[in-house]
Formats: sequence, C-alpha cells, structure tokens
Amino acid sequence: MSSSLRRFLITRFLMTIPMVLIMVSMVFFIMRVLPGDPIRSQLGPKVSEEQADRIRERLGLNDPLPVQYFNYLIDMATLDFGNALTRGERPIKDELGERLPATIELTIPAMLFTSLFGIGMGAFAAKNRKKFIDYSIRVFSVFIYSIPIFFLGLVFQIIFGVRLNLLPLSGRMDSLILANFDSITNFYILDSILTRNWGALKSGALHLIMPSITLGLALTGVFIRLTRVNMIEMLKSDFITAGRARGIPENRLVFKHALRNTFIPIMTLIGLQMAILIAGAVLTETTFSWPGMGRYLVDRIALRDYTAVQSTIAVFAFFVAIISLLMDILYALVDPRIRY
Amino acid sequence: MALEPLVKIRDLSVTYQTRIGPVSAVDHISFDIKKGEILGLVGESGCGKSTLGKALLRMIDPPGEISSGKIIFDNENIMEYDDVQLRDFRGRRVSMIFQDPMTSLNPVQRTDDHLVETIQVHEPQTKKELGLQRAGELIERLGIGADRMISYPHHLSGGMRQRVMTGIGLILNADLIVADEATTSLDVIVEAKLADQLREIREEFGISLLMITHNIALVAEMADRIAVMYAGHMVEIGDIFDVFEKPKHPYTQGLLASIPNIQFNVNEELYKMPGEPPNLTRPPEGCRFHPRCPKAMPICSKKEPSLIEIKKNRFVHCWLYQDHPEKMAK
Amino acid sequence: MNDHREILSEAVPEWQLELDKVGFFRRLLLSRKWFKGDWWFVLISGILLITIITIGIFPQWFAPHDPREEVGPSLLGPGEETPIFLLLIDQSSDATTFADIASVKNKIGYTVGSQSTQAMRNTIDRLNAQAEKEGIDIVYQPRGERFETVEEGLEAVSAGEVDGFISSEEELGEVIAQFDNLIVLEEMRSSKAKSFVLGTNQIGQDIFSRIIWGTRIALIVGLSSAVISFLIGVPLGLFSGFIGGRIDRLLTFFMDSLYTFPGLILAISIAAVLGAGIGNIILAIAVVYIPTYFRIVRGQTLTVKNELFVEAARSLGTKPIEIMTKYVFPNVLPSVVIIFSVNVADAILTEAGLSFIGLGLPPDTPDWGIDLARGQDYLRRAWWLITFPGSMVTLVTLAFSMLGESLSEILNPRLSEL
Repeated sequence: MSSSLRRFLITRFLMTIPMVLIMVSMVFFIMRVLPGDPIRSQLGPKVSEEQADRIRERLGLNDPLPVQYFNYLIDMATLDFGNALTRGERPIKDELGERLPATIELTIPAMLFTSLFGIGMGAFAAKNRKKFIDYSIRVFSVFIYSIPIFFLGLVFQIIFGVRLNLLPLSGRMDSLILANFDSITNFYILDSILTRNWGALKSGALHLIMPSITLGLALTGVFIRLTRVNMIEMLKSDFITAGRARGIPENRLVFKHALRNTFIPIMTLIGLQMAILIAGAVLTETTFSWPGMGRYLVDRIALRDYTAVQSTIAVFAFFVAIISLLMDILYALVDPRIRY
Repeated sequence: MALEPLVKIRDLSVTYQTRIGPVSAVDHISFDIKKGEILGLVGESGCGKSTLGKALLRMIDPPGEISSGKIIFDNENIMEYDDVQLRDFRGRRVSMIFQDPMTSLNPVQRTDDHLVETIQVHEPQTKKELGLQRAGELIERLGIGADRMISYPHHLSGGMRQRVMTGIGLILNADLIVADEATTSLDVIVEAKLADQLREIREEFGISLLMITHNIALVAEMADRIAVMYAGHMVEIGDIFDVFEKPKHPYTQGLLASIPNIQFNVNEELYKMPGEPPNLTRPPEGCRFHPRCPKAMPICSKKEPSLIEIKKNRFVHCWLYQDHPEKMAK
Repeated sequence: MNDHREILSEAVPEWQLELDKVGFFRRLLLSRKWFKGDWWFVLISGILLITIITIGIFPQWFAPHDPREEVGPSLLGPGEETPIFLLLIDQSSDATTFADIASVKNKIGYTVGSQSTQAMRNTIDRLNAQAEKEGIDIVYQPRGERFETVEEGLEAVSAGEVDGFISSEEELGEVIAQFDNLIVLEEMRSSKAKSFVLGTNQIGQDIFSRIIWGTRIALIVGLSSAVISFLIGVPLGLFSGFIGGRIDRLLTFFMDSLYTFPGLILAISIAAVLGAGIGNIILAIAVVYIPTYFRIVRGQTLTVKNELFVEAARSLGTKPIEIMTKYVFPNVLPSVVIIFSVNVADAILTEAGLSFIGLGLPPDTPDWGIDLARGQDYLRRAWWLITFPGSMVTLVTLAFSMLGESLSEILNPRLSEL
C-alpha cells in the first residue's frame, strides 16, 4: 500500500470519531433538551411524584445539563446503554446486540439488489437518453420511489404470502426450526451454514426474500435517478467523446469507461443515502415483523421507553458513520486521484 | 507540388436543431485535403471550424446532424458507412486530437491502457504484450519516458498529456489527424515543441494534418495551405505564402490586418474588424459577411457567391472575383 | 445594466443571449416541441396535482360520507351490497309503508342480537328527518319487541301481537316458507348506502370517504412542512453562501450534520419527544428538509458569486443586495422549485411512515398512514383496507415527484442538449 493511501486511510478513520460524536450529541440534544417529560409519559399518571422523582434522580435527569451530557458521552463510549425502563427487560445492550445482526442481514442483500438493479438500469437509461426505454425507466424509478415502503411490503405480502402462498409473511425463521437452531453470531444465514442446519438455511433464506427485495426495490428508485443523472453528465465528458473518436464501441464506453468514473460521485452519494436505507429498514422491519433494530426502535417508542430509544438511535448513528467510512475507503481505492 | 487528395468534401452541411430554430453551422462546404499536407483551418469562434472537424469523423451528435453532402475518404463515401465501418474508420484511418488533454483522457485509465485499448479495439487479435511494446515505442518516439507508461493522466504535465493524445492518434497509423485547437491550452514553449513534433511526424509518416485553430501565427508557421472559414462558409483557400502575401477575401484581409505585429509603428492603433459574427439562426441574405464587409456591393446582400478557383489551387468565395448578370444592376 | 450586456456579448453568441432574455414561463411553453416526453410529464402531473389539490381543499364535495362515521357494516368489500333487512307484516294489515306502523302505538319485533335494529333505527331517523324538513308534526318512534327466535316473532306478527317483524334474509332462512301469510312491507338497510365503492374498514367507515379526506391531511402536512423548510432553508443558504467566512463554515457544519442524520429517525425522534399532533408532525418533518434547501441554495450562491459577470458587476459598484436579487436568486429559483416539489412528495411519504409507526396524528384522523397501519391486521380477510390508502399515497407522491423530475429535465440547461 502506498504511503499516501495509508495516510488517507488513517486520516479518514480519525475523522469518523468527530462524526460519531456529533451524531450522538444530536441524539442527546433532541431527547433531553426538547420539551416534554419522558419519565412522566413513560410511567403514566399512576406513579406518584415522589417515585418519579426518585427515578429521575437515579437516571441523573436532575443533574445540570453539561453533567448529563458528559455522563451520557461516557456511557456511549463504554457501550453502557442501561436497562429498559419497563420492568423485567434485558439490558439494552444485549437486545441491540441481537438485533443489529438482524438488521445487517436484511440490508446487505437489499443493497446488493439495489446496486445491481439500480445502477444498471440507470446506466442503461443514460445511454439511451430520450428514447422510449429511458422514459420507461424514469417512470418506473419515480413510481417505485413514490410507493411507501411499507405499502410495497404489504402488497408483496398479499400477493406472495396470502394469494400465492409462496413466501412466509413475517419473522426471520419458522418458529419450529428456530427452536432447534443454534445461533452463534446471530446472522442466521451464516449460522445455519456453520451449524450445517440446512432446514434453517432454507427457512432463513425464504424469510429473507420478501423483506430484502422490498427494501432493495424501495432504494432502487433513488439509485436509478442518481446513476442516470451522473451518467448523462459523464457521457458528455471529453474523454468519452475522445474515446468515441477512436472507435471504441458505445457499450464499452458506457459500461466500462463512463460507469467506472461515475462510481466515484455515486459512492459519495451512496454514503448520503444511508439515511434512506435506515428509514427503509425501520419501516420494512415493522411491516415484516423482522426483529431488527428498526422494529426495536418503533416498539420502544410505543412504550415510551426513551432510554432504549436513545441508545438505539445512537447505535444507528454508529452504523451510519461506519458505512460512511467504508464508502470513503472504497472511494479512495477506486479513484487514483484521491489521496489526502 | 501536385498532391493527391486524401479527403474530398463536397457540399457538406451541418445543421443544429435548437429551441429557436435550425442553426446552419456549416453551409454547403466543398474542399480537399491532400495527402501528406498540413492544412490550417482558421476562423473566429463560432464560425463552424470545430463542427467541420467533427463532421469529418461523423461525430456530430443530436441535436445536430450532417444535413447534406459527401465526405469521400480515399474513394469511399464515409456518409454511407454503417456503425461497424464507422468504428473501424475512427482511430484507424482518421483520428482526432482534442483541445484539453486533461479532460480528453480517462482519469481512471493509465497511459499504456489508453493505447493498448485503442489497438485491441481495432485489432482484437493483437496480444497485450505486443500492444504494450508498440505503445512503448511510440511514446518514446514522442519524447515521453517509458516510465510514464503506468502513469495516470493527472500525473502528467500538460504537454505530456497532449503528446499522449497525439500518440493515441498515431498508434494505428491513421492517414489523417484532425487537431482541434490542440495547442490552445498549452503555453507557447510547449506549443512550439508539439508543433515541431507534428511536423516531424508528417515528414516521417506522410500523415495529413488538419489544424483547426484561431491562432493564425501558428498556422503561418506550420501549414502548407490555409483555409479560412466565416459563419459556416469557406471563404478562402490557398497556399500559405500566397494567401498571407495577397489575401483576396475582405475577411481574410481584415483577419491578417488585425494580427498584432511588433514591427509596426507602436503608435498605430490595433485594427479591429467592425461588427459581430452573425446569428446563425437568421443568417444574412446573400454573402454572410456583407454586413461587415468594407467592399460590399449591392449584389452581396442579395445573392450568395460560390467558392471558385481563381487560379491554380486558389479559391475565393466573393463577388469581387466573380461575375453575375445582376452584379452590375443598381 | 447596459454595461454588462457589452462585456458579455463578445464571449457569448448572440442567440444564446436572446434565449436567456425569454423568461421562465415562455421557456416552458416554447420547450414543448423540444422536450416531447418531459413536457407531457409536466402536463400530466400538473393536471393530476390540480385535481388532487381541489380534492384536498373541498373534500366534502367528493366524499359521499363522513369519514369518521360508522356508515356500514364492518369489512364490507368494495361494491358489495350491504345486507338487506325485511320488514314483514301480515297480509291482513292495511299498512302500505313503514310510516303507517311507525308511530308510538306500534310495536315491531326483532330477534336478539340481530343487526336489524340498526336498520330500523336508520329508517326511523330518515323518516323523522324528512318529516322535520317537510314541517309535518309527527314523530316516528315505534316500540321494539324482542323475541328469542325468528319463529316466535313471525308467529307474533301472524297473530297480530306485533305490527311488524324485521329480520335479515339470512336469518329468516327456511322458516319463512311456513308463513305465507306474511308479506314484505319494506326493505331496509342498516347502512347509509346500498354499497360502498371501496368498501368499509373494520369499524364500518367508508374507505372512499376516508381516502378523500385523507388527501386534505396529506396535503396540509406535506405543503406546510415544505413551506417551512423553504422559508428557513433558502434565506439561510443565500445568506451563508454570500457572507462566507466563519459564519458560513459554522452554518454549513451544522446543516451538514443535520443532513447526514437519517431523516426518518430525526423526524421520529422529534415527533416522539414533542408528542402527537399535527403541528408537531409538520415541525418534525420540516426540520428534516431544511438542510437540503440550505445546501443547494448555498452551492448555487457560491457558484454564481464566483462567476465572471458577478465579479464584473461588483467591480462596477453594484450593491450586494442587488447582486443577490438580480443574479443569484433568479439562478437559484429553478432548482428550488424542483426541490420543493420533491420535498412535498417526500414529506407526504414521511408523514405516512410516521403514522404507520404510530407516531403521527391522533388515531381517529382520516389519514392514509393510520389506515395502512390498522389495515395490517386484516391482510388476509380484507385486502381493500390497505390497497386504496396505499395507492393514494403513491399517486399523490408520484404526481409531485413526476413534476419535479420533468421540470428538472426542462429547466436545467446544463442537462439538456444545446
């Protein structure tokens, strides 16, 4: 690895820290500083004011704000998320530890689907600009983008789950199979291969199909548009014209030269699309009762468990920062011009 | 020096369909490019010279199109080529060098890759090592060290990039190189070096070179013949010395007069041609230069002259040198 | 201004200057021949949007029923007929309409647990309302008599103990065959209408009316939040881009952090903390989109600020405010318009998402997201509960997005061929 690349990677890695810090602080700001008494709404009117106050004391909510902030940061850094407020719940860290792999297992196939489908269609549309196929792809992408993810999921459930009875409607795995399933990493697909539990593999995979395709399709709309716009600009570049002037075939120009150059701005945009990915994950998990972080967030909000909500959002923030970092690293590997 | 024509352009027109109407960027132009000659194509910005250059490779994209004419390259009308023939034609028979070498090279492709790809696209049976060898030889011949073969464009200087571009143009032994403002973005010293190189290449390989530029001084230095364009028309063609000494068309006269010359009296004002280039969606009636022409006659605003050969290899597009029944009418 | 023209005209061909002189709207119209498909998209989405906005402003013209009212039986399919109840009388009776046997002196029989009482009450209400309108001073209020079985009831009618008996066809079943002395006086329905074009939900509300009224909510939330984001983001962007320096860096930093924070999560957090209610939802969504306006406007401001003609103007002594309004703002406007329409589309989606999760509006509101959430449990039995609200969200979002997309193709000269 060249020294400039190494320098870049180190610098970029270090930059992640302030990014995470900012996001986590934002969560704090929103949760603690905005009006509303989380404890009161969590516990309901039946709890006496004294008891509520004791709880507030225990959670440090009566401390001055900077002290709260400081403690909060320490907690986040040591991954001490505390316990859920509802009695008898497990420590939040354990819950999240179980659910993060679930969410990741959902998002990876979705991202693969989107990248392939979305970028491919976008490039194809750019190549055939203003022809019928271009308009069709654009209409398709706007249409897909306009369908709320959860509606899309519900429609799939009706068609493939109820009418055709092909795919399971919810959850990650058949409960019977799940009972005999050893999950080590909590990545069900991986674990089923590791434990050679082929029934589990099949069940897990079947359960994965609808949610990940739903999530993937929902993102595809955005990707098609992004790719198409960038590719159109790219195809106007001088080096593409120069390539054409020396007889390089169109397909090669589009799918090799232009696309490779387009990846670079697209990747930055992919990083920014994380927001949509997470929103999609939250909604998809809710629709398919997928036990991931998104659904956990929604459940906890319904229960007004703000401690858990806060921690979950913080973990999401970590997630975003890590992906962002990975994207930038990939970017540096692909583009020879970028070295800090 | 009677040279054989390599390219015969007859009645070529290029029209752009714009939002406010069709723009005739090149209007019924005919001329020849001879084998082994350096032909300088000059004119103001917007006169259509770049468009003409692109048309030679049939690289006019919508909303523009070649609306009429033939381009006969080595006895074949390339207007009739299909896609496959066209792709073969480009790069192998004719190649183009562009103005900005930074943007004309693929930023994520190495130098050797650029060259080898060009070879393999036209001669798929060529093995990579052989391709690399040919590329290396050519690069060295152009004065770039072999260690630069693995460089990316942004590692090279402006002059080097332009030479790489030239190399790409030469790698398949094209018969004609179209240099579209190839030296405009370079500083004078680098420009001079590149000019020398192009001349050497012409000597050695017998390649024809169409130099499209607005830099008349460069043309004076390098070209054998000069062709002057104005508003989509070819107004004067001839041997370089002949045209410079005795320019016939009023526009050429104005153009040459406006070149700053150190030897002239420093107190003299710089000559500037009055007026502006016309709006090509509504070009003037008759000769397109007549609104600015100091020697305009009544017929000039009514009828368009033709490009006629007033003596051997000397062409002018002007009523001053042609007759027409209406010419004498009031 | 004239000075500027001269500096420019040598660099830019005259016809392009002419094109720039032509304003926003003329360019739009002129571009029809030029842009073919995109132009049609703009037209279609424009018409669609006008229709949607009309529906949103006057839902009462389009919705046949009150969206919150229980107007029909639960889970009735689209177009399915509501069950009919038959009012039976003995053939010896001289009653010709229900009104004849609807006074306080009359007794009408029904079976325990039957829906028929609802049907009767409906008809009674209708009669009373009509009487009031006509000014007739009669109150219809027959007394009801309960029976354990249909048979008993029918016998009672035959015997003259009650003036009439009401039951559904289903309930009457075979039993009615034994009583051929009984005839049908009137057919009644328990619901307000014969059928409901899109069916009813589990509470018995008319889905069609609900989605019509849902348009209003969606538009209010979508447009309000977009307007708020616009009003905050654009001036900040202009200001920040123009001012530059430390203030600019600070603002940009803040906006960037907001921008990279996942949008839905941000909206969820704000909504969760502020609580339910339409104002809070609008605010939560508005905050999410402010950075987008800020970034685009700031970017454009920077670009324009550095352009030669602005430098030229500045060197000629034009005041900064003038520069901002004459040069920067008109250049920025097309992009902002496009962002606005996409913003509204997104806001509507986000609002639906929030309601779906349960964070949105009060549960009784006729909102598409809420309907979708509630319909989830009835996926197998009643597909129409979610299909129509979902399709509406898609349609409205589609209209706004399509407008934004095609406008961007048309108005963005960098992307079009010229």
